[in-house]
Amino acid sequence: MGAVVSDTVADRGTDGRVTALSSAATLVEAIGRGSRIALKRLYDLESKRLYGIALRIVRRPEVAADVLQEAFIQIWQNARSYSPERGAAQAWLTGIVRFRALDAVRKTGREVLSGDPALGDAAEEPDVIERIGAEAEASALRRCLGLLDDIQRRLVVLAFVDGYSHSEIAERIAEPLGTVKSRIRRGLAALKTCLAP
Amino acid sequence: MIPTDSEELSALAGEYVLGLLDAADAREIEQAMATNSALASAVTFWQERLDPLCALAPPADPPPATWDRINAKIAAGERHIPRLPRWWNDPAPWRWATAGLAAAAAVMLLVVARPPTGPHYVALLSAPSQQTPGFLVMGGHTEIVARAVSGAVPPKGRAFELWAIYPNVSRPQALGVIPVNGVLRVKDFPTEILGGASFAVSVEPPGGSPTGQPTGPVVFIGKLRTI
Repeated sequence: MGAVVSDTVADRGTDGRVTALSSAATLVEAIGRGSRIALKRLYDLESKRLYGIALRIVRRPEVAADVLQEAFIQIWQNARSYSPERGAAQAWLTGIVRFRALDAVRKTGREVLSGDPALGDAAEEPDVIERIGAEAEASALRRCLGLLDDIQRRLVVLAFVDGYSHSEIAERIAEPLGTVKSRIRRGLAALKTCLAP
Repeated sequence: MIPTDSEELSALAGEYVLGLLDAADAREIEQAMATNSALASAVTFWQERLDPLCALAPPADPPPATWDRINAKIAAGERHIPRLPRWWNDPAPWRWATAGLAAAAAVMLLVVARPPTGPHYVALLSAPSQQTPGFLVMGGHTEIVARAVSGAVPPKGRAFELWAIYPNVSRPQALGVIPVNGVLRVKDFPTEILGGASFAVSVEPPGGSPTGQPTGPVVFIGKLRTI
């Protein structure tokens, strides 16, 4: 019962500013002050993107919906601890969703590993680098990914976007586990040198 | 094992952020981040730099009932099985929690430092095996004030973070990183939800827990009382 009462109080407190709330960072800050309205707005703004990220990793809509639900509850509970020094709000949100999705995959396994035409399709596409956005932070990543060879780039995408483990990647690209690990390490080292400030 | 070599450390952090580590290794990284600031900043580096890759996952419509489920769960205070998180029982290194003021002095501070609305709730947080309080937490109508009372300071390069633990909620709620002066004011907080809650202080990287859950040892804990 307490939660219901508190929500009324908290939302009344931020009501006047609600229409001005738009960026993820502002919303997260308002959520940290207990505004359920801000949480709903964040959901309206971000749920498609975040659900897409989760679905890409877990593959099953019902599991992705659970991941999204857990992620929003975690956002609600921990928004207060978010501060801009801890990075962009977008990265904070996607970090929560990705790690929840990875937990789900590690726990239950993936239903389909191979033979799924949707699997790794982004990684297969030649214009992958072009599709990662035009913002400043994206352009640095795009430039640096361009320095990797095709396989290294594909491995980074298979891991980060599709949530594949080392052994899943090894199976998918039919290479020994050790080779995959060292390829990824070399890719990371090259990215680090290129992306470091 | 967390490497000390900076290239190895960066590679491991990169593998963690890419999602390549298995559950046990990932937990090890999350634990280690609390006491290893180089590791924590390496993880933040990768998290931010790789984030634009998320654009490769096409947005999709979540099932229509999802928001209602989230909303209901929050409103109900997540009435699923109450289960203490694992860190609760972790043996913690208490070295830095040097004995200081006694409980009596802490209660005096309560009188001096009460928030303007007057405290309605108070909690003395102690190391689990000790009587000496490390933090005093007071809650008024809309504010919580946490104050170090025995000169408790976090280990070098670390910070204390305050958490609320609700009786029927499985995850602790982050309330904020305690500033270096040892006083954290949490404003506009709906303190009505605090009935039956406990508070805990954990050791985290300087900016607070990178995962949104306690990653370091819980060094002080105490139950809230209504006054």
